Amino acid sequence: MPNATTLSATAPIPTTPQAPQLKGGEIVLKCLRAEGVDLVFGYPGGAIMPLYDALDGSGVRHILTRHEQGAVFAAEGYARSTGKVGVAMATSGPGATNLVTGIADAKMDSVPLVCITGQVRTAMIGTDAFQETDVFGMTLSLTKWSRLVKTIEEIPAVIAEAFYWARSGRPGPVIVDIPTDLMKAKAEFSGPVRFAPPAAEDAQGKPAFAEKLLALLETAKKPVALVGAGAKISGAITELRALLDYLNVPAFATVHGLGAVDPDSSYYLGMVGMHGTRAANMALHETDLLLVFGARLDDRVTGDPTRFAPDARIVHFEIDPSQLDRVRPCDLPVVGDLAQTIPAFHDAVRKISLPNWSAWRSIACGPDRAELDPRGLAQPTIRFLDELFSRLPKDSIVLADVGQHQMWAAQRYHTNSPRGFITSGGLGSMGFALPAAIGVQLAKPETTVVCVSGDGGFQMNIQELATVQRLSLPIKMVIVDNKFLGMVRQWQQLFYQRNYAETDLSDNPDFVEIAKAYKIHAWNLGEEAMRQFPVSDETGGLLESFLHSKKPELLVFDCQREANVFPMVPAGAALSEMVFDDE
Amino acid sequence: MQAFHIYYRNTQGTLMRILTAVSRRALDLNYVHAEAAPGGPNPGGPTFKVTMLLDVNPKQVGQLRRDWYAIVDVTEVRIASAESVTDHASSSWPGATPHPPATTRGTDETVRAARA
Repeated sequence: MPNATTLSATAPIPTTPQAPQLKGGEIVLKCLRAEGVDLVFGYPGGAIMPLYDALDGSGVRHILTRHEQGAVFAAEGYARSTGKVGVAMATSGPGATNLVTGIADAKMDSVPLVCITGQVRTAMIGTDAFQETDVFGMTLSLTKWSRLVKTIEEIPAVIAEAFYWARSGRPGPVIVDIPTDLMKAKAEFSGPVRFAPPAAEDAQGKPAFAEKLLALLETAKKPVALVGAGAKISGAITELRALLDYLNVPAFATVHGLGAVDPDSSYYLGMVGMHGTRAANMALHETDLLLVFGARLDDRVTGDPTRFAPDARIVHFEIDPSQLDRVRPCDLPVVGDLAQTIPAFHDAVRKISLPNWSAWRSIACGPDRAELDPRGLAQPTIRFLDELFSRLPKDSIVLADVGQHQMWAAQRYHTNSPRGFITSGGLGSMGFALPAAIGVQLAKPETTVVCVSGDGGFQMNIQELATVQRLSLPIKMVIVDNKFLGMVRQWQQLFYQRNYAETDLSDNPDFVEIAKAYKIHAWNLGEEAMRQFPVSDETGGLLESFLHSKKPELLVFDCQREANVFPMVPAGAALSEMVFDDE
Repeated sequence: MQAFHIYYRNTQGTLMRILTAVSRRALDLNYVHAEAAPGGPNPGGPTFKVTMLLDVNPKQVGQLRRDWYAIVDVTEVRIASAESVTDHASSSWPGATPHPPATTRGTDETVRAARA
C-alpha cells in the first residue's frame, strides 16, 4: 500500500555529450517537451516572465487565456478529454492564487495537471515581497505533490517527478513553484531526466479477492454495478463493458462515469444519485451486492449514508485506498488499477456458474421503473436539450457547467464515448465549462464541442470569449438562461420556503450583445419554440446552423425561471425517497 | 486516544501534508513529535517519523491511515496504544511538559514590534 520512491531515482535521458548552458526558463520548456507537452495554458506576469521569454522557438504552444482560472480550467479540459497531463502556468501572488480553484477541481475529479508558477526571487522569499504568496503551502491539501524549486540544477528532476505523480495511480494536480531568479540564471543542461517509478505493488489479481468475490456473487440475489470515473481513467472501458455484458446485472453510472457503459445496453439504468434515474436509484437501494468500479461514493451518489444500499455487501474496485470506507465500510476492497483487476475478476468469474438473476433484472430494468416523461416547467428546456443533442455527430463532446443545466444535460446526453461528457463533478466549480471547452476543442480540433452553461456560471469566466474568438475555436456555447442561480433557487424553493435570497439574476446583461462585442455570432431561442411538436422548420434550421457552423457560436435559450430538476433526492434523504415534481 | 507513528521521507511539505490530514478533520493534536528515525522503513534513504496522539473514532483511524498512505513520501503508518507514547514522552522528552504559550515569553517590546 505505501508509495515507494526515491527522489534521487532519476536517470538522464541520453543526449549530446557537450552540455550547453541554458537559462532556467529554457530548461523548464525543454523538460516539458520531453514529457510530451506541446500545449500549455497560462497568463504571464512579473515572476514568470523569464519562462515566457523562452517560449518562442521552444516547441511549446502557449494559449493565453484572460484569467488564470481560465487557464487552469482549459488545462483541465485538455486533460479530461485526452487523458494526457494538462499544463497551466501563472505568475506569483495573485496569478498563483487564481489557479487554486482549478487545482482543487482537478484533485476532486482525478485530473492529471501540472501547474507551474513563478515565485519571487529566492532571496526575497518569506519577506512578503511584491506578489509573493506561499502557493506551495496553501495548496498542500489540494495537490498530490508539489515542489518549491531551490536550485536551477534540480529543475529537470523536479519536472520529471511532477509529471510522474500527476499521471500515475489516481491522477491529480501537482505544483512546481520556481523562483524567478532561477529561471533567469544559466546552468549546464545535459538533458531531461526520467523519474524512475517506484516498484509497483502487486495488489492486483491476488487469488483471495477473487475467491471472496465469487462467493459473494454466488449468494447474491440482487447484484448491481456502479461505474465511476476510475473506469475511464484506467483505460479499462473495453474490459469493463465485456465484464458487464457477461454479468448482465443492472448497471448505472455516476456523473463522471457517464459514457463508460454503452447506454443502449439492456441492463443500463442511467445516472445514479441525487438527480439520477428512478430505476438506478431504486436498484441501488434494493441491491444486496454492490460492485463499485472506480467511484468515490460521495454524498451526491449515496444520499443519506446511513440508509445507502442498506442491504448490500459492497465490493469496491479502486486504485486509491484513501477513497475506501469514506461513507460506508466496504466488505471487500479490491485495491489496484482497474485495467488489471477487472480482467482478473472477469477471468475468475468465467469459471463459475452464475446464479439466475433474470427475475431481479426484470424488476430493476423493467417498464415499471422507466423514466416518467418530463413534467412541469422544465419540459421545454429538456426538450431543447433533446433536440440539440439528437443533432450532434457521434463522438461529440458535451461540457456542462455547474447547476441545473448540468443535471439536465447529464440526464439527457446519452453518450457512448467514455470522455464524451465533461463536467466539474466533485468540486462543482461554476465557470468551469467555457474555459474547459477551450482546452477540449484545442485537443480535439475535429470534434464537435458543445458547452452548456447557466447564466450564472457563464458570467464567472465570460472573459474567455476573448480566447475563443482569438483562436476562432468552433465551440458551440449554450446558455440555459433562467435569470436565476437556478439550483440554489430550486433548493430555496423546496427547502427554504421560497426565500430567494440573492439568487435573482433578472438584471443579467444581454448575452447576445456581449457575444457580438467579442465578435462572436449569437442566437436567441425562446422556450415557446419547444412547445411545438415537432419543432418548426425554423427552429430546426436554427439548431442545425448553430451546430454545423465552423465558427464559435453562442445560443441563449430562455428557460422558464422556476423550472426544477427532477427526479431529486432531497439532502439527507435515502435514494429511495426521490421526489418527481414540485408537489 | 490513539497513537500514530507515520514514517516518511523528509521531502518538502511531507510532514505538513501528514498534519493537514489531521487538521482538516478539526482533530486536536494532543501530542506531536517529529524526528529522524534511522533504520525506519525506507530502503535506500533516510527515514523520519512523526508521532501523534489523537482522539479519534475507529472510522477516523481508517480514514487517516489511508489518507497518510496516499501521501507520496509516506512509507509506513503504525498504530499503537496511547500509553506507549505518553509513558515514553513524559520520561524522556522535556517538551512534553506543559508550558505557557510562546508569546508570553516575549518582551513587551518584541510583542509590540510584532503587532505593529
